[in-house]
Amino acid sequence: MTGALTLDRVGVRFNGSPILRSVDLEVGRGEWVGIIGPNGAGKTTLLRAVTGAFEFAGTVSISGTPTSSMKRGAIARSVALVPQHPVLPSGMRVVDYVLLGRTPHLRPVTGPSFHDLDVIATILDALTLSAFTDRDITTLSGGELQRAVIARALAQESPILLLDEPTTALDVGRQQDVLELVDRLRRERDLTVVSAMHDLTIAAQFPDRLVMLAGGEVVASGGAADVLDPTLIRKHYGAEVRVIDDGAGGIVIVPVRSQERISDSTN
Amino acid sequence: MTPEEIRPSRLRWWWLAAALAALAGAGLLSILLGAVDLDAGSVLRSIVDRLPFVHFDSGLTDRQEAILWELRMPRVVLGGIVGSMLAVAGGAYQGSFRNPLADPYLLGAAAGAGLGATIAIVYGPSVSAIPVDPLPLFAFIGGVGGVAATYAIGYSVRAGRTPVTLILAGVAVASFLTAVQTYLQQRNADTLREVYGWILGRLSTVGWSEVWLVLPYVLIASIILLLGARRLDVLSVGDEEAVTLGVEPSRVRFLMVIAATLGTAAVVAVSGLIGFVGIIVPHMIRIVFGSSYRVVLPLSIVLGAAFLILADLLARTVAAPAEVPIGVVTAFFGAPFFAIVLRSSRGLGS
Repeated sequence: MTGALTLDRVGVRFNGSPILRSVDLEVGRGEWVGIIGPNGAGKTTLLRAVTGAFEFAGTVSISGTPTSSMKRGAIARSVALVPQHPVLPSGMRVVDYVLLGRTPHLRPVTGPSFHDLDVIATILDALTLSAFTDRDITTLSGGELQRAVIARALAQESPILLLDEPTTALDVGRQQDVLELVDRLRRERDLTVVSAMHDLTIAAQFPDRLVMLAGGEVVASGGAADVLDPTLIRKHYGAEVRVIDDGAGGIVIVPVRSQERISDSTN
Repeated sequence: MTPEEIRPSRLRWWWLAAALAALAGAGLLSILLGAVDLDAGSVLRSIVDRLPFVHFDSGLTDRQEAILWELRMPRVVLGGIVGSMLAVAGGAYQGSFRNPLADPYLLGAAAGAGLGATIAIVYGPSVSAIPVDPLPLFAFIGGVGGVAATYAIGYSVRAGRTPVTLILAGVAVASFLTAVQTYLQQRNADTLREVYGWILGRLSTVGWSEVWLVLPYVLIASIILLLGARRLDVLSVGDEEAVTLGVEPSRVRFLMVIAATLGTAAVVAVSGLIGFVGIIVPHMIRIVFGSSYRVVLPLSIVLGAAFLILADLLARTVAAPAEVPIGVVTAFFGAPFFAIVLRSSRGLGS
């Protein structure tokens, strides 16, 4: 069986220095894979390579078709990306921003069709953005904005949704809102989700499977309990953590201060 | 929500109607006023008389008819065409480079055209063997050449190439071309006045030849720019995100810049350097009607024409019988007007 998304020995270099080295990844249809790893591990680069944003070594295949043989528009109809730091054009209304997601479906000359507007209407309702359609995109709060950016990605109607640290700027309640929303949309729309994630406890809760990247390579892959191992985290994040069973089938990652660091700071 | 409730930004017909009314008003005013004031009723009758199958006695004398049809009318039409092109090209450049100050002049078009015109004026007598007026031809070649040089340098930069790289390359090219132009100008002081007059812009024309000369360029360039407006809206989220939306930013930018540059070089060739129109008109439209390029570009075509026609009316009349260079008028009256609109608006956001 061919997966929804397959990375085969994907390598990326920027100005000569390797960012990703020979990454293999297979994501099944409807699966949610979380990408974790320290800053600079290559999480964002991996997601952007999937969108075909730049040249890379190896192959990215969508339902078995290499992206190198697909046109930009076809890739955009297959993969949608929610960037970590979206560029917000001042003065653009929310409805126009979300409509940008229909770009790969529009014919060159004619404007959006009734069907395009219908898609937008459904998405704005699903993401409770109906009250914000005429607002300037730059005036939204963090949670509203993240929903608008996700709405734009959903407007592409791509079967694969990539999220680059979708909860970084949000408070804990909005983090849960956004991730529950992604999980609900994934089930309703049969989406395949790949998300780069920052918070390890949250990463343990939502994706089906985790992949840890470090130095541009996959260093661990599997269920949360296997990947979120204190030894692996110490090695790749340089962090001291305790992994605690939360008593409800989940795990919690707690940073702890090592004795060495405490004695350093008291001197 | 129902699909009917989704109202994306688009050009509303009454905005366009209002803009066209403003253009018609500016045109009529500019036709009526001048050294010889014409009577509005007679002018309208004369215009209707020119329509096929309609005959009207305009009541104008032969001399007034000549003033109307060979002086005022071609000048107003030319002013409108030049204003349209400069405004829509400015708007397209701002979208292409996501820079509110971008303008074809910035990428070497103005400096190149200035050098071309100076060469034509200084060495004009020796090239007068060719049957066409060398000045527009040289200015056109210079304008396109300036932008081509900017592109060549901007694209030879390998690492860290951004839209800003191109603008910086434009600054370098413009400085160099201006230096050469100034040198030629100083070496040939007898033609100083003529060169200077061209650089400050002028619409003094007799007859319709300039109109027919630039019209094809302006039509083609405007159509290409209007077709690209939706792509410019996509570019407003930046190149990285535009790629994920299925758009190839460098291709869009290249096409828009080529179209805007050719159109600008064509109008600059006949009008000289009229500054500020490409910045001021699209910005005022953004402030009033919103920032979507599907609104800004079409309205720029109509209101750019109206703006330059009014500027030319002032240029002809404020110091009559002398004429003020129109580039001086666009800056002197345009800049404060722009400042007032900017202040009274709620601003463009950040």
